[in-house]
Amino acid sequence: MQLDPSFIWTAFWQILRAIPTTLSITAVSVLLGFAIGTVTALVRLYRVPVLSQMASAYVTFIRGTPMLTHLLLIYFGLPMLIDGLAESLGWSFRSVSIPMIGFAYISFSITAGAYMSEVVRAGMQAVDRGQVEAAHSVGMTSFQALRRISFPQALAAALPNLANSVIGMLHGSTLAFAVSVVDINAQAQIVASTNWKFFEAYLAAALIFWGLTVLIERAAALIEKRVGAYNRGGVA
Amino acid sequence: MIELKKISKSFGRHRVLQDISLSVKTGEVVVILGPSGSGKTTLLRCVNYLEKPASGEIAVGDFKMDCAQAKRGDILRLRRKTAMVFQQYNLFRHKTALENVMEALLVVKKMPAAEARSRSVALLEKVGLGGKLDEYPSRLSGGQQQRVGIARALALEPEVILFDEPTSALDPELVGEVLEVIRDIAREGITMIVVTHEMGFARDVANRVVFMDGGVVVEEGTPDDVFQHPKEERTKQFLRRITPEANWVI
Ligand SMILES: Nc1ncnc2c1ncn2[C@@H]1O[C@H](COP(=O)(O)OP(=O)(O)O)[C@@H](O)[C@H]1O
Ligand SMILES: [Mg+2]
Repeated sequence: MQLDPSFIWTAFWQILRAIPTTLSITAVSVLLGFAIGTVTALVRLYRVPVLSQMASAYVTFIRGTPMLTHLLLIYFGLPMLIDGLAESLGWSFRSVSIPMIGFAYISFSITAGAYMSEVVRAGMQAVDRGQVEAAHSVGMTSFQALRRISFPQALAAALPNLANSVIGMLHGSTLAFAVSVVDINAQAQIVASTNWKFFEAYLAAALIFWGLTVLIERAAALIEKRVGAYNRGGVA
Repeated sequence: MIELKKISKSFGRHRVLQDISLSVKTGEVVVILGPSGSGKTTLLRCVNYLEKPASGEIAVGDFKMDCAQAKRGDILRLRRKTAMVFQQYNLFRHKTALENVMEALLVVKKMPAAEARSRSVALLEKVGLGGKLDEYPSRLSGGQQQRVGIARALALEPEVILFDEPTSALDPELVGEVLEVIRDIAREGITMIVVTHEMGFARDVANRVVFMDGGVVVEEGTPDDVFQHPKEERTKQFLRRITPEANWVI
């Protein structure tokens, strides 16, 4: 079989239509994951009783198991849970009405949450304790000190790692094919299935992923430059 | 008027403060001296409730608090009546000089932004930083950062400002500008408790000097009393060590 360069181009155009699916999975998992990760990190940093142990267990379990496994566990486990609950509580809702992509959203958010909690935690630890004390010394509450002083700086410190998480979730979203979601990769497979030019199709998919990744990196660099401006000192 | 009664504090089994009592009149400047590890920092931090005293009473103005049973609201009230200037400045690094000073006015006092701004600008001008309003701490020298720290402490118009070795992290040539600012505000009649090793400055600015060692107040009196006619042997030893020339100056 010979390489068919023109089919790369053809496939490229046909795969583009799957970009919204890939991006929506990435965006949802990153945003929800960030929320979950922030709460998890704070619960652990402030050593909230019970919750912090649960948070640690969550993080080690998720980071200790593959992302595809999370998806499969959610895909097979969640319907049992929902239908069981629905039955006993008399709801009319049943798990069959959850769209396939919903499982990807839920499971990947859980995955991202565990990874991002470590990123947020490292960022928080980078903020020196003295500033929090200074905030307290002028009468700010712990919550005000967190919201106004430590968290913004933790985010700035965590930005490079957060950008990596976004890229990780973008690439990881390809696993959604396992629950029949047609993302960029799955679309490439579909495009090639008529003529068996899989290499060309997957190459086109790779180019699209590469482009998206570069865009994310550029955006992150821009944000970093703006947000981190306060760190560029002139005088010692 | 600040009144500390029998403040005690331990770290583990180490009793760092043992029943310390101290009262400071409105407008008075009290300088605390003492060897390293004597509990000076811990005492200041207790007044600001950055450390929780094990027991004792703190009264600031008309507000009084039993440290052992302090509630969240009490702690916030105490902190709003006291301000701290830190050895390491502890400026908010993601905020400009102006924002550092405005922060508590906006967040704690809920002051309208325009008013907070004009007051903060005035304070920064007072400490000689009118030209550095929009600089981030990373672009300021240590002396400038500490002056921002002083302006930030002044912003809430606290009943007392606590200075913990405000110049000991500074390069020698920057010490003067910070001491000058502290002298100025002392002259304005702001109540201050100052921990310092700058003896000349202490003599100059203090209405009263307190000598601490081993978590207790060993001796206190006017600068003349303590510097020229110390009564306690420990005070004499300390002064000899810290100012070798004192032997022939006196
Ligand atoms: N957070 C802490 N944990 C344990 N020990 C501490 C802590 N802070 C201070 N100490 C101890 O308390 C004593 C008094 O410290 P400090 O108040 O800093 O003294 P000073 O300011 O007079 O040098 C020292 O022995 C110090 O090691
Ligand atoms: Mg000290």
